Amino acid sequence: MSESTPPDPLARLGQEIDKARAGLVRRQPQVADRSTLQPGLGLGFRIGIELVVAVVVATGIGWAIDRWLGTRPWGMIVLFFLGVAAGMLNVYRAVTGVSGPVGYRPPAGRDPGAKKWDDEDC
Amino acid sequence: MALEIRPLEQFRIERFIPIHIGGLDVSYTNAALLMTIGVALITALVLLGTRQRALVPGRWQSVAEMSYEFVADMVETNVGHGGQQFLPFIFTLFMFILFANFLGMIPYSYTVTSQIVVTFALAAVVFIGVTIIGIVRHGFHFLRLFVPQGVPAPLLVLLVPIELLSYCIRPFTLSIRLFANMLAGHTMLAIFAGFAAAVGILGIFPLAIDILLVALEVLVAALQAYVFAILTCLYLSDAINLH
Repeated sequence: MSESTPPDPLARLGQEIDKARAGLVRRQPQVADRSTLQPGLGLGFRIGIELVVAVVVATGIGWAIDRWLGTRPWGMIVLFFLGVAAGMLNVYRAVTGVSGPVGYRPPAGRDPGAKKWDDEDC
Repeated sequence: MALEIRPLEQFRIERFIPIHIGGLDVSYTNAALLMTIGVALITALVLLGTRQRALVPGRWQSVAEMSYEFVADMVETNVGHGGQQFLPFIFTLFMFILFANFLGMIPYSYTVTSQIVVTFALAAVVFIGVTIIGIVRHGFHFLRLFVPQGVPAPLLVLLVPIELLSYCIRPFTLSIRLFANMLAGHTMLAIFAGFAAAVGILGIFPLAIDILLVALEVLVAALQAYVFAILTCLYLSDAINLH
């Protein structure tokens, strides 16, 4: 395959687009890096929400279980602490970037380092 | 002259065309109107933008293609190649929230995403969809998601409920984040605008703050649509790339 000026202008344009695309792929890491500049507000708000909602929702579920089974106040107490734990877990994952699966392992076939910022660039 | 400041009035739902089916109130409201406008605008943008299919895109085609490629990139990096089939859904979701947020920035219009019922419906669709996709793809193996590896058995009694809980609160965090951001931002705008109207010539200061807040709100509007879409991608990635 010769790279030098194919007769068809369309094919030449196609080649140029391919070349530009290749450049885009190479620049990809930089594009990801830009996201580290503006995480403050979004990340902060996200984490606040994460913690508060976890506690509130869990306590609510506990309250509902109590009403249903008549186990007042144990469901609410237990679920409250579980909610705090779940909220902390979510915050920890959002910050460290180990957020992919709910498990503690990075997703297969992908570079954990590259994954690291994905979750934080909000 | 006491000027009353009612910053929450902007969120009132007004029924334009009252419709009642059975006991259900399905009236056509201002929120529904804004959603209709948003969907119409998105459809127009994408359809008209790609109608010519020029090799060298014009302005509208550029906008349509850029938004498509932006979301396609997001899906590719966050879900991986298996996620491409969900691209239409995530693109729709992103564009809908983005347009709803931006349409809400227009004075006297209505911010659809400041209603928790709207954002929660979106988040619930994502949550239920992701769970179903995970179960269809992996069957019972999907439950492995809640069992951390390399943990001693006694600890699992504690950890599995925590994992389960942290999974189940996803739709709540997803919806409350968007709703709270839009609600808080627009309330703040209205409060400062109220100050500006109330204090006469000195009102220029709250007005200046309001101008800055509008800039911030534009940022938040785009950012929240992006956050919603990217979290959807991450949740999808959980369900698809499970092992």
